[in-house]
Amino acid sequence: MIKTWRVALHEYRQHVFNKRFLLGLFSVPLLLLVMVGLIFLIFAMENNQAPIGYVDLSGILADPLPPPPVENPDRPVEFFAYPDEAAAMSALEAGEIQAFYVIPADYRTSGALRVVHLQDLKYSPRSQFEAFLSVNLLRDADPAVANRLIEASDVTVRSPDGSREMSSTGWFNMLLPAFAGMAFVIAMFTAGGYLMQAVVEEKENRTMEVLITSVSPGQFMAGKIIGDIAIGLTQIAVWLAFIAGGILIGRGSIDFLQGIQISPQLVLLVVVILFPAFVMVAALMAAIGATVSEAREGQQMTGLISLPVWIPFMLLMLIVESPNSPVVLFLSFFPLTAPLTILMRQSMTILPAWQIAVSAGIQILGAVGAVWLAGRAFRLGMLRYGKRLRWKEIFARA
Amino acid sequence: MAAVELTHITKTFGEVRAVDDVSFAIEQGELFGLLGPNGAGKTTTIRCMLDIFKPDSGTVAILGGPMTEAKKDRIGYMPEERGLYQDIPLERCLGYLGSLKGLSPAEARRRYEPYLERFDLAEHRGKKVKELSKGMQQKAQIIATLLHQPELLIVDEPFSGLDPVNTQLVKDLLRELRQQGMTVVLCSHQMHLVEELCDRIVLIDHGEVMLYGALDEVRRRFSANALLVRAAGDLSGLPGVESIEPVNGTVKLHLAPKAEPQSVLKALVARNLIVEQFEVALPDLDEIFIRVVRGEGGTA
Repeated sequence: MIKTWRVALHEYRQHVFNKRFLLGLFSVPLLLLVMVGLIFLIFAMENNQAPIGYVDLSGILADPLPPPPVENPDRPVEFFAYPDEAAAMSALEAGEIQAFYVIPADYRTSGALRVVHLQDLKYSPRSQFEAFLSVNLLRDADPAVANRLIEASDVTVRSPDGSREMSSTGWFNMLLPAFAGMAFVIAMFTAGGYLMQAVVEEKENRTMEVLITSVSPGQFMAGKIIGDIAIGLTQIAVWLAFIAGGILIGRGSIDFLQGIQISPQLVLLVVVILFPAFVMVAALMAAIGATVSEAREGQQMTGLISLPVWIPFMLLMLIVESPNSPVVLFLSFFPLTAPLTILMRQSMTILPAWQIAVSAGIQILGAVGAVWLAGRAFRLGMLRYGKRLRWKEIFARA
Repeated sequence: MAAVELTHITKTFGEVRAVDDVSFAIEQGELFGLLGPNGAGKTTTIRCMLDIFKPDSGTVAILGGPMTEAKKDRIGYMPEERGLYQDIPLERCLGYLGSLKGLSPAEARRRYEPYLERFDLAEHRGKKVKELSKGMQQKAQIIATLLHQPELLIVDEPFSGLDPVNTQLVKDLLRELRQQGMTVVLCSHQMHLVEELCDRIVLIDHGEVMLYGALDEVRRRFSANALLVRAAGDLSGLPGVESIEPVNGTVKLHLAPKAEPQSVLKALVARNLIVEQFEVALPDLDEIFIRVVRGEGGTA
């Protein structure tokens, strides 16, 4: 058993403490960071904080109530009153305000007002002025009614069993399983790619012959798969650490991040669906490594595994619109398509327990089968140089 | 008990019979030569010996019985095609391969240090294996094979890529290991080295054992009834001598089929010649190898 761990440790060290891996590992969170930065930049550009002027001919804002508080990440805009359009215009031209509204005397009946601006008036300052106007229009109404009218409705969609709900603040939780599934799939193919590459290299540089006179094929393959899973989990752990850090930092300024919660069902799906899928993909990648004679050929064959895994992503619209259709149900049970399908369905519908159980059972059987297959491919293909092992041969001798 | 005993093993790949009814035994503590031309079946025989391949028929006993996982730690194998991790430092490579033979990382380090010094690799320990010269990699492979102090050492072409100084180093090492009681199987094309080092040999060709036995006995079997003589004076007209051939400062006396070396010696003494050298001319292993491979003799 100790040799299995030594193989695993070697596999792990060889790939994780490697510039190529570290670059790949940190490039994803860095990319996310850049994306978040871009989002903030767009918000900042949308959020012109220069004051807005108004010329109130209707008397609604004669003695105005303060505007309602703004939601993060928007920043509050000040409102200045001007006695007439000429004064407002000169303030606008002097750059003291970004725009001014003219509220006509018949505004209460006509509902029409005019806004004057030199540059495009962004959504945030416009909506803030509208909220300011609304608050003052409703100043005489029952505060509860006024509040409802200003905030509008906040619909929470809840499943009949009460296990899931979606509201304006918790929408990100709905997407979390799908994101988790995709992160796992990316990690499993990155780590699996390393594993395949390592096995091919061990064949190419003839290390294999030395290795198999030191450890059994079973120990060797088990060590490789454990190492591979550890590499993938390291990748996920680092990404999670970045995401968690991002959430902690961003909670104060981005409202939807406050509602993020990892449900027990998501954890269950990770354990019973994604983890066996990881083992299965790792074993299949090792099997490819053992059967091919050079790395390039192996990379071409990897497509045979990665394509079915990504099929649910290509059928995203079908899964969103009909998450319980027969095709989607089939994809939920088929070993390679199940990980993404199940996780994406978890975002869209309530997964019956039996479907999770059946899918998990198939995934676990698939993982065991793939390890067996990899073991056979390895035994038959490990010393096959310059000639590819045919899949028929693997099964023929079984 | 023999260190290795192969009994009537046969191994076929598709239409090709790579090993055909091969039997031989390697005694404990001997330096045994496994010879044969390219494609003769030597590597397949070794792989059967090491349980990498299961023979189609016949039995293999290694270190007293069938191969087990535990026995792998008692065997050192250096394949003909070298196998070291190219992209990691030499030290780490040796440490890892040693750990797969049951050594702790600390023990592996303790053991490879003196070898690195002896093979002039100490200052290259931190270099990636691919940065080492072919000869250095060859020496590193030898170290990796010996780290766990195996009871049985199988080395396939250990001298390829080595300069004369390093060849001598490896020769001395193999002799030293034999003296320490290690069983060494030497697979090589360099016949003069096999001749110099081995006690017994087996020669395989087309998957079959062509020659097997003690080196002296094999050479005697292939002697062509000739004498090597270095003597001052006229050697013509000696009884039983059919022809005389000068060979490197000596003369080779080719004897008639039933002539005895003893009667030639008596004739030389009778002529009162000063005899500096008188020996039965035995063929060297190169010559035997070529003769066997060309089908001029050789039986198991």
